Parts: sequence; structure tokens; C-alpha cells
Amino acid sequence: MNGNLSALLPLLLFMAVMVAISVYVRNRQAGKNFVSSYFVGNRQLGGFVLAMTTVATYSSVSSFVGGPGMAYQVGFGWIYMAVVQVTAIFLVLGIFGKRVALLARKLNAVTVVDIIRARFQSDLLAAIAAFVIVLFFCGTMTAQFVGGAKLFAAVTGYSYEAGLILFGLTVVIYTSIGGFRAVALTDTCCALIMMVGIVLLLHYVLQAGGGYENIMTTLEANNPELFEPFSFGNMPWTIYFTQWLLVGICTIALPQSVVRGISYKNTQGLHQAMLIGTVVVGFMNIGINFTGILAHGVLTGTAADYGGVDNIIPTTIVKAMPAELVGLAIIGPLAASISTISGLLIVASSAIVKDVYLHWADKNQRIVTPARVKFLSMATTALIGAAVFVIALTPPSLIWLINMFAFGGLETAFFWTLLLGLFWKRANKLGALLSMTGGTIVYCATQAAGFKFMNLHQITIGITCSLILFLIGSYLGKRTDDATLKVFFP
Amino acid sequence: MDKHNCAFNDAQKFSLVKREAIYTGLALVGLIIFWLVAGFGTSAVDVKIFHLPLWAVLGTVGVWLAGIAIAALLSRKLFTDMDLGGDDDER
Repeated sequence: MNGNLSALLPLLLFMAVMVAISVYVRNRQAGKNFVSSYFVGNRQLGGFVLAMTTVATYSSVSSFVGGPGMAYQVGFGWIYMAVVQVTAIFLVLGIFGKRVALLARKLNAVTVVDIIRARFQSDLLAAIAAFVIVLFFCGTMTAQFVGGAKLFAAVTGYSYEAGLILFGLTVVIYTSIGGFRAVALTDTCCALIMMVGIVLLLHYVLQAGGGYENIMTTLEANNPELFEPFSFGNMPWTIYFTQWLLVGICTIALPQSVVRGISYKNTQGLHQAMLIGTVVVGFMNIGINFTGILAHGVLTGTAADYGGVDNIIPTTIVKAMPAELVGLAIIGPLAASISTISGLLIVASSAIVKDVYLHWADKNQRIVTPARVKFLSMATTALIGAAVFVIALTPPSLIWLINMFAFGGLETAFFWTLLLGLFWKRANKLGALLSMTGGTIVYCATQAAGFKFMNLHQITIGITCSLILFLIGSYLGKRTDDATLKVFFP
Repeated sequence: MDKHNCAFNDAQKFSLVKREAIYTGLALVGLIIFWLVAGFGTSAVDVKIFHLPLWAVLGTVGVWLAGIAIAALLSRKLFTDMDLGGDDDER
């Protein structure tokens, strides 16, 4: 291996800190309710950590690599589109935060599927929800592993496999050991590191490009398309519209975000998190994408000249930053990657252990000892992580499309089930079953066939079908029993 | 109703939470309108700030600041502190 050792050392240190936090959390939680502490951190998150873990899980490696690469190509229209993500945190916490927290405490729920099962009184729906979570999360996690490892290889000079082993195994180990609380704390570190990484990269890009004035004057003269909202046809209105759905409005139903509503300590913390999260997510989105545009001061060719938009940020890091700081600069994007993986990993694990196995055991009056629950939870987390790690060793092509496909699939499956289920009394089991299964199948089928309506992303078809099916089922099916409605709508 | 009054019964809590969700939905509509006006709405204006066209400033940093203002309004003025009930699982 002939890589840049000075780039590797900060990464090794960062990963060691992540594992140390996890071990610390594990020791602190000894003796407490394992399922609650492992899967939702005993509902003890404060406002700052809640904000940071929600932002970090939401911000993936593509926010730091593919996104700014597109901004390099498209210009300010890309930032205008990306800034819709400032809604993500206050929407999910404002709409679901308190309702989910109240219900979780009433029902002793520790997962989103627990709440769905209780609302619709359906084990089948819960099983489908758990399956959908594991399926789409595996796709998203694979994309994070591959994206992170490719970035590592491009910047440090070490192999793709070395990168995968370094940060892939680290994230699997620390998530397995520490559970949700460790994920939340490491996410907080990751979010802070991401912001430092953005500032650091912006500083060196400006320096390498001869200063802000120089870069912008050159851009105004040579790249007028960057200053036009439709980028001379590179940013059609359909992208703006679908991005509002994909990364704005519909993100409120992502299970990995909604579960944060179960995990916080009190409403003061929730209110703080709404504000802090909005500040941080906006800073990250504008900061990194603006840096992508300013990278024109460092790189002179088109994105294609550097092997595509995904290579813009890695190339910029290598060209603009001193060799001894390269390791620090890529911690940010890798932190985005591992924080997303850890957040998804723990929810996927809870879907299998808590939503499927423990529910089955409870229903069949099987006794599951605390030691066995502990072993199974950690082993399942490790196994899912290992499976995704193995898939990532031979990276599938079109990985970024798989990532967006998974995002849309989760939103199609959960958006109406959660929104109407928690706010509409008439919502019932048949509606939710039809919506989740029918919507997801239609979404996957249109994706597979490449079918689009008015050239809009297939999320528009999936979410519309999902709504129609929900309404049909809710009006045709049996009403939810009064006892259940009294719990959800007292 | 006192914003810091935590002594709500179950029905009151769920009613407040529903109202807060509606406020959040309305805030989203407001932000979408602001986003449209700030970006597309000013794209024909020939004004530059720090070498950036007005639409690019208002449509990015402007929307971000509007988002922060909305989050502050919701969390500090319109949302109510309440006891979430149940135990805290510290066992």
C-alpha cells in the first residue's frame, strides 16, 4: 500500500474516538433496561444531541460528494434546490416529535414499527414495515459504504478495500457495542466534524483560487450558466419539484428520523433541537455546495474532465489542501457516511430483533432472557453491518441511483401510513396495508421500468398511488376499534 | 394558556400536539412561498450582492434565515412545553 500516511493518522484517531465513545456508553448503560437503552437510548437525549443526531443521520456522504459536485456543474440553482432541506428538521420534529414521544411512552414502544403495529392492530403490517425498513436501509447503507470507501481511496492513495475495512468495520463495531446512545453521541461528533471540514475546505479552496473576488470574477465571465436558476436548461423545474418531495416534505416519514421522536428526554429539548437542527442543516447544505461552486477556482475543466461530478470534491481536496491536512478534510465526508450508516444500522437491527423476533416470542409465550436479548441485538446489528460490508466489497454500479431509490421507497411506504395514521381517526388497517404494499410495489415497478410521469422522479407516482390506496382502504375497510382510537386520539 | 404550564391531561396534550403539527404545516407552506418568491421571483432583478445575483442570495441564505426564523417562532412562541408522561426508562 502506497498511500499518504499523514492522511491516514487523523482518520485512525477519529475512528478510535468513535469506538471509545461506544465502549464508554456501553459501560454507563450497564444494568438499565437493555432494549430501551440499546434501541432508543433510554429516551434521554437532550436538545443539542437530538438535533445533531437527526442532522447527521439525514446528511449522507452524497451530501458531501455528489451534491457539491453537481453544484460545480450546475451552479447556484443547485444550492437553491438543496436549501429546501432546511425544512427537514423542524418538519419531522414539529409534526411527529411530540406525538410519537407521547405514544411511545403510553405504549412502551421503542420503534416506529411498534407504534404502527399498535395503531393499526396488524402484525402483518408491522412485518411488512420491518421488511421494507431492512430492505431499503441495506441499499442506503451500501451506497454509504461504497461512497465513503471511494472517497478514501481517491484522497489518501490507499486502496478501496482498505478504506472499507477502516471505516466500515469501525462503524459496525461501535454501533453493535453501544447501540442508539452511542450512535447519537458519535453522530454529534460527526456533525461537528462535518462543519469543521466544510470551513477548512472552504478556506483552502478560496486560498488556492486566489481569493473570493478572483474566483467569482472569473466565473461571471466564463460560466454565466452558474448564475441562472435553470442553469441554461441543466436544472429543469421537474428537479426542483421532485427534490421538494424527496429531500424536503416526504423526509418527515423516514423511519430513521421519526425514531428520534421516541428518543428525547423532554419537550424543551425538542424545541431546542428544531432550532439548532435548522441552523446546522442549512449551514452544511449551503456551505458545502457553495464550496463546490468555488472549486472552479481550483479546477479548470468540466466535471467530466475529472471523471464525473463525484470526483470534484476528492480532487479539490487533493489539489487545494496541504498534504498533512488531507486526512482532516476527508473526516467530514466520512463522518457523514458513518453517521448515516450507524443511524440506519440500529433501526434495521431493531426492526428484526424488537419488531419481529421479540414480538413473536411474546405472542408465543416464549421466554427470552435479558442476556439473550442483548446477545441477539448486538449480533443482529453486527450481522446486518457485515452483510452490507460484503456487498460493498464488490460495489454494484449505479450506486447513487440505488441510494435515491431507497430514499423514495421508504418515503412511499411510510409517508401516509404515519401521517394519516397518527392524525386521522378514519385511517385503518386496510388503508395502511394497501398504501404500504401497493405504493411500494408501484414505486419499485416504475423504477424498474424507467417509467416517469412528466419526467418527474418516480416518488411522485409512488406517493400518489400510496395516498389513493390509503383512502380507498380507509373508506372500504373496517373502522379501527374504539379502544385503539382512545389511545391515539384521547 | 400558559406556555410553560405542564399540567395538561392526555386529551389536552394530544389536542395541543395536533395544533402544533398544523402550525408546522402552515410554516412549511409559508416557507415554500418564500422560497418561490425569493428565488424564481427575483431572478429577473439585475442586482448583485458580493458578486451573486439577488435571487441566489435570497433563494439560498435568505431561505435558510427564513427557516431559522420559522423554527424559532414555532419552538419559542407557538409550541408548548408539556410533560410527556410515562417513566423515563432509567431502570
